[in-house]
Amino acid sequence: MASTFTGRRRAVHKPRDAAQIELRGVSKRFVTPSGTLFTALRDIDLAIDPGKFCAVVGPTGCGKSTTLTMVAGLDRPSEGTVRVADSQVNGIARGTSFMFQTDALLPWKTVIANVAMGPLFRGVPRKTALTDAREWLRVVGLAGFENHHPHQLSGGMRKRVSLAAALINEPSILLMDEPFGALDVQTRAIMSNELLTLWDQTRPSVLFVTHDLEEAIALADRVVVMTAGPGTVKAVYDIDLPRPRGAVQEIRFDKRFLELHHEIWASLRDEVERAYLRTTTAQGGERP
Amino acid sequence: MTLDPTAPAAAALRTGQHVPPDEAASGSSSGTAQVRLRARRRRLLIYAAQAATFVVIFGGWQLFTSLKIVDPFFFGQPSGIVRTLWNWVQHGTAYGSVWSQIWVTMEEALLGFVFGVAGGVVFGILLGQVHFLADVLGPYIKAVNALPRIVLGSIFLIFLGLGMTSKVVLAAVLVFFVVFFNAFQGVREVDKNFIANARILGASRLQVVRNVVIPSALTWIIASLHVAFGFAVIGAIVGEFLGAQKGLGLIISTAQNNFDADGVFAAMLIIGVIALTAEWLIGLMERRLLAWRPQVQTEAQGI
Repeated sequence: MASTFTGRRRAVHKPRDAAQIELRGVSKRFVTPSGTLFTALRDIDLAIDPGKFCAVVGPTGCGKSTTLTMVAGLDRPSEGTVRVADSQVNGIARGTSFMFQTDALLPWKTVIANVAMGPLFRGVPRKTALTDAREWLRVVGLAGFENHHPHQLSGGMRKRVSLAAALINEPSILLMDEPFGALDVQTRAIMSNELLTLWDQTRPSVLFVTHDLEEAIALADRVVVMTAGPGTVKAVYDIDLPRPRGAVQEIRFDKRFLELHHEIWASLRDEVERAYLRTTTAQGGERP
Repeated sequence: MTLDPTAPAAAALRTGQHVPPDEAASGSSSGTAQVRLRARRRRLLIYAAQAATFVVIFGGWQLFTSLKIVDPFFFGQPSGIVRTLWNWVQHGTAYGSVWSQIWVTMEEALLGFVFGVAGGVVFGILLGQVHFLADVLGPYIKAVNALPRIVLGSIFLIFLGLGMTSKVVLAAVLVFFVVFFNAFQGVREVDKNFIANARILGASRLQVVRNVVIPSALTWIIASLHVAFGFAVIGAIVGEFLGAQKGLGLIISTAQNNFDADGVFAAMLIIGVIALTAEWLIGLMERRLLAWRPQVQTEAQGI
């Protein structure tokens, strides 16, 4: 299962042109069940150039996922604007794909039916959709598993299916919410490699949320550090590691990688500590 | 399940658990044979114990009533029940052939079941989806549900007369609530991620319902069908109790009025056979419709 996509035939589908993602002055507030107003995000400014891979790191509960749902159009900002490809996000838009942390594969559908879902929803004829789905399953290394059900696959295999299901729609932006968070370390590294290879072939703009700094640096062109809640952009780092970067397991020992890691971690550490402190005091019944 | 037996992981799939493809082929055959033998022996033991239980209960019943320790006039007697059944088959009941009685009750129960399930599923999904409707109708549904619905039988009898319709409606109402609450709950329990994912993939509201909500709620709905068929039979029988011209319920109430315990038990036996058959059919359908589910061996499945 440790194969990478290198050497396989390129995906047959030409991607839609990558789109720019832009958040300007975005805030998000929720009313908590107890009736108080909770600010999840405050005044976020963020821009991702077309075809770039941007990772967002931050402590737990800093509103990383909320940012993604607003870019996806699942949720609206309380203030500010979210723009994708120069038009304001106003509900779910074509050209957006999303990979969730937990499995979003439908357990009652076979693997191929799960992958073909996107095209079928968009009115592609059944035969074409299934042919495309089969091709994508081959690309992610799951040829022969078309008629299995998700529960019959391992966690890593399910992630491949999710990836195929996300990419078959030829997204111009790909949003990923800790997609490999639930995987063990080795599988995670393998999936990261495969994601990079696939991304390189299809080149959508990626917004990748994670709390793993190493993963962020290994994958992204740019790493955004967010503050502990209310989340806002603390710092932005350009990752100048050359591409293709090769295996993520090895780039970790690269000198430049270590420098970047050191630099970004210094910034992230404060936030992580602050968030941690807050959870421990919150347990004592105190609100920050 | 329609699985390709040539697929590498197929061996693992039959047991339902995940085994990496390259490990699936291994496993010594002598060990497997031993495990199989042990399972077989256990199964035989269970059958034997089940037969013994039957003998103890019915043999004991027959014995105690024959010895007049227990009065067979009030408590019936297995041999008397068999005789009554045989008599019904040979000479018919007071209201015509026993088969026509069974068929009438079955027809009422089945029609009630079909209407009740259809109504329960439609309303359950509708109210599960449309929160406004659920909030408006919620208190009324709870109020009606709080009623002992058997008393509705009397109302239906007055409305619809002694014929079949009143029984069908009573059965349908009983079935409706069981299925409705399960369908409603099933819709509300749908994983939010599934819905968000389908929407992002481009699904319209109707497509979300068809591809995500209904299949997800189906587990709940089908679970309710087991209970629901029981309620359909109860509705039919109680309806006949309250007033009818035909059916097993009528036979039971007549037997009761004549202090004919054997007659009551004989009719009960017939109903039991019907219910078990229906249960078996629903089980078959469940396995077919929910074939995608991982096979988890639970104790409850054995019962």
